[in-house]
Amino acid sequence: MAVHRGRGVAAIEYPTGMNQNGDPSQAWIKVKPDGRVDVFSGTADIGNGAKTIQSQIVAETIGVPYDWVTFDNSNTDSSPVCTGTFASRATFVAGKAVLKAAEEVRHKLLEIAGLEMEASADDLEVVDGEVMVKGSPTEKLSVADVAGAATYGHGQLITGTGAQLKPYAEILDPETGVVSSPPHSAISYAACAAEVEVDDETGNVRVLKLIQAYDVGKAINPALVEGQIQGGAIMGLGLAVLENAYPYYPSVEHRGYGFGSYYSPGMEDLPELETIIIENPSADGPYGAKGIGEMANNAQPAAIAAAVHDAAGVWITELPITPELVLKALEAKAEPRREGKLVAFDDEISVNTVGAGISWMP
Amino acid sequence: MKAVGARLPRYDGVGHVTGQTQFVDDVRVREMLWAKALRSPHHHAAITRMDTSKAEAMPGVEAVITHADVPLLEYGHLSALGIPADEPLLAKDEVRYKGQPIALVAAEDADTARAGVEAIEIDYEERPTLFDVRKAFDDDAPTVHRWGNWYPHFEGEMDRRQIRKGNIEEAFEAADTIVSGVYRPAAIEHAPLETQVSMVVPEPDGRLTVYSCTQALYFSLGVMAAHLQVPLNRLKVVGGTVGGGFGGKVDTASETVTALAAMKANRPVKWRWTREEEFLASSTRAPWHMEIIDAVTSDGWILGRKMLTLHDSGAYARFSPYGLTKHSFHHTGAYTIPNLHFDGYVVFTNRVPTTAMRGFGVTSVSFATETHMSRIADVLGLDPFEVRLKNANRINDTSPNMITYPDPSTVDVVLSIAEATDHSLDDAYMSMSRAQRSGDMLPEHLAAQIGEGHEHASLHALVHGVDNDSEGN
Repeated sequence: MAVHRGRGVAAIEYPTGMNQNGDPSQAWIKVKPDGRVDVFSGTADIGNGAKTIQSQIVAETIGVPYDWVTFDNSNTDSSPVCTGTFASRATFVAGKAVLKAAEEVRHKLLEIAGLEMEASADDLEVVDGEVMVKGSPTEKLSVADVAGAATYGHGQLITGTGAQLKPYAEILDPETGVVSSPPHSAISYAACAAEVEVDDETGNVRVLKLIQAYDVGKAINPALVEGQIQGGAIMGLGLAVLENAYPYYPSVEHRGYGFGSYYSPGMEDLPELETIIIENPSADGPYGAKGIGEMANNAQPAAIAAAVHDAAGVWITELPITPELVLKALEAKAEPRREGKLVAFDDEISVNTVGAGISWMP
Repeated sequence: MKAVGARLPRYDGVGHVTGQTQFVDDVRVREMLWAKALRSPHHHAAITRMDTSKAEAMPGVEAVITHADVPLLEYGHLSALGIPADEPLLAKDEVRYKGQPIALVAAEDADTARAGVEAIEIDYEERPTLFDVRKAFDDDAPTVHRWGNWYPHFEGEMDRRQIRKGNIEEAFEAADTIVSGVYRPAAIEHAPLETQVSMVVPEPDGRLTVYSCTQALYFSLGVMAAHLQVPLNRLKVVGGTVGGGFGGKVDTASETVTALAAMKANRPVKWRWTREEEFLASSTRAPWHMEIIDAVTSDGWILGRKMLTLHDSGAYARFSPYGLTKHSFHHTGAYTIPNLHFDGYVVFTNRVPTTAMRGFGVTSVSFATETHMSRIADVLGLDPFEVRLKNANRINDTSPNMITYPDPSTVDVVLSIAEATDHSLDDAYMSMSRAQRSGDMLPEHLAAQIGEGHEHASLHALVHGVDNDSEGN
């Protein structure tokens, strides 16, 4: 009886935006007479930080401080279409909509500023809430003054609208799955190494450490990116060793009906986490960003399964890897079936063994 | 100061951590009624009789809603994408899962609503059930869906999602070793702190204000308007701040029925699911059954992959056809495999319909293909990092659906993890990059996998063919 340590690795990819696209996001922005900026976007914030990220993109693009931006996603009367917060699309797809709206706002601000400063809008830029002549930072006018002049001097409302839509990628041939165009906005990549301990007496698997590297394109807010990666890691840990909505699947009996009867990860399950952010900018995401919200729970289960094999010599391919499954596997010491060049694992759970109506050849 | 790239404080962080953020259930209005649902106690049954008259006559009960009150009973979240609808908003003549909503009672308080639910007279005739996707195709399997036991409406009215690429038979003939395995990740709960909840307020101008926990305001607006057969501006969906979703709140689970109750009672109605309802009657992540057979060379190249996926959709389709399609597009993971034969089925069972969840369609396949990758390395006695680095997507490699990858980073992330874990690799591997394949990284079997370099190889592939014959690069 002993506790064994093992390591495993997994590498994954994940698309940004709805599969096959066709998922619009729109936004509009107005500027108050003191230069403060109101953003209207239909993107729900499910804890992913959509309000923060879109506000940052607007502040950066117009050239005003972050705390000048208010963000309203509260209702469908004032906010235009956003397909929703799913498919890792909020930062990229909805982010591009607010980016385009903010570009229009900046353009209009510079036009009004040009009238006020007797300069061509092309020669002006906005830096930290001030419009200045490029290369001559002493000639400047605050965005607040420009917005006031627009309202009270020129009788104009400074607004911007933006919309992002990548057209639907059609399946040209359902026999082969060939598509008409890239069926996503971008693809993100990640790898994860897991270190585990397996107790061969109790069958318990303890995840000690998860080391993860994500190519996020551009971290618009590194703190929120780390939050996604670390939160996702714990969700992936739950998938790997704890959670099951149907503990006797495929049976529907004995389901957990509350937090007290369902094993989701708790503080005691928390492993050591190491997070590496790589920035290979995407070709057309806002500031090069890609979406990583969803993939953040995809790499850990395979890395943990490989680490369990490294530690205990058994492959568990049904999730979660419960103590019961580990002990059964240790007891069975199953070897793969070998026929010619075939090495066949898991015969006992295959459709070939369990079902009769579907043919499947190894 | 730069805003992009800065560790700025979360926009709504203070409200969240001090408990001041207003979520749907925090909103209370005068005259508000509480709603409770009658749900199926059976996994599969015919409804042979239903009588709501005693419930309707109860003091304090202001509205009872059944299928008969819904202008358009069946509307799918993906109807707009051509995926036909199969799920009634409220069960009509049959129930296909335990917990399926049949009626909603709105009353002055929750206890009266619950008593109203109990006063509904209903008779069932139980039917045989199916829970194991592996047995759905058997001759003696009970039929559990009006379309049969698996989804039959993929493009061309095909009953499965297929990927075909290259020449799979040649790949298996050429292989030194063939490795097969079966992968079965479990269903899990979304387990949000905020259960499904909505409140609908009839306004004096005839509009409805819908307080919703949806992850997708406009998706839910469209779905509600379709069921209710009203123009979009009859409804104002209020939300945008969600107490945990993880995919489960892409379903518009409660809003439409609550709206019907509010319209019938002409009073505000709130329907807040209990924790038990959230766990037992709301959707879960799907359980998946995946079988992979890979043709490999003794030095770790993957020549071809055959894969069978059975996606446990539960009682209705919801987003499952979409999820399976996404799954099929990503069944080679972060690697380039030239010969593919993928068959995937959306299988119906008598469990709660499964739905979107973080990583939808791909979480499953990432687990299966990456565990398989580790097994291949183990069977061949090779380093698991090296097998991954060899087969990793490179710039301009071709995907399963014949588009090219403009900026894959598999090599970057794997090398980064090797470094972080002090995993020693030969220089040949340490010096790898994501650049377009050449030299040792362009063996004969991948020669035809280099695309045009403008992220659009499909037309090229259709014109020039996509078999194993190299046309150079």
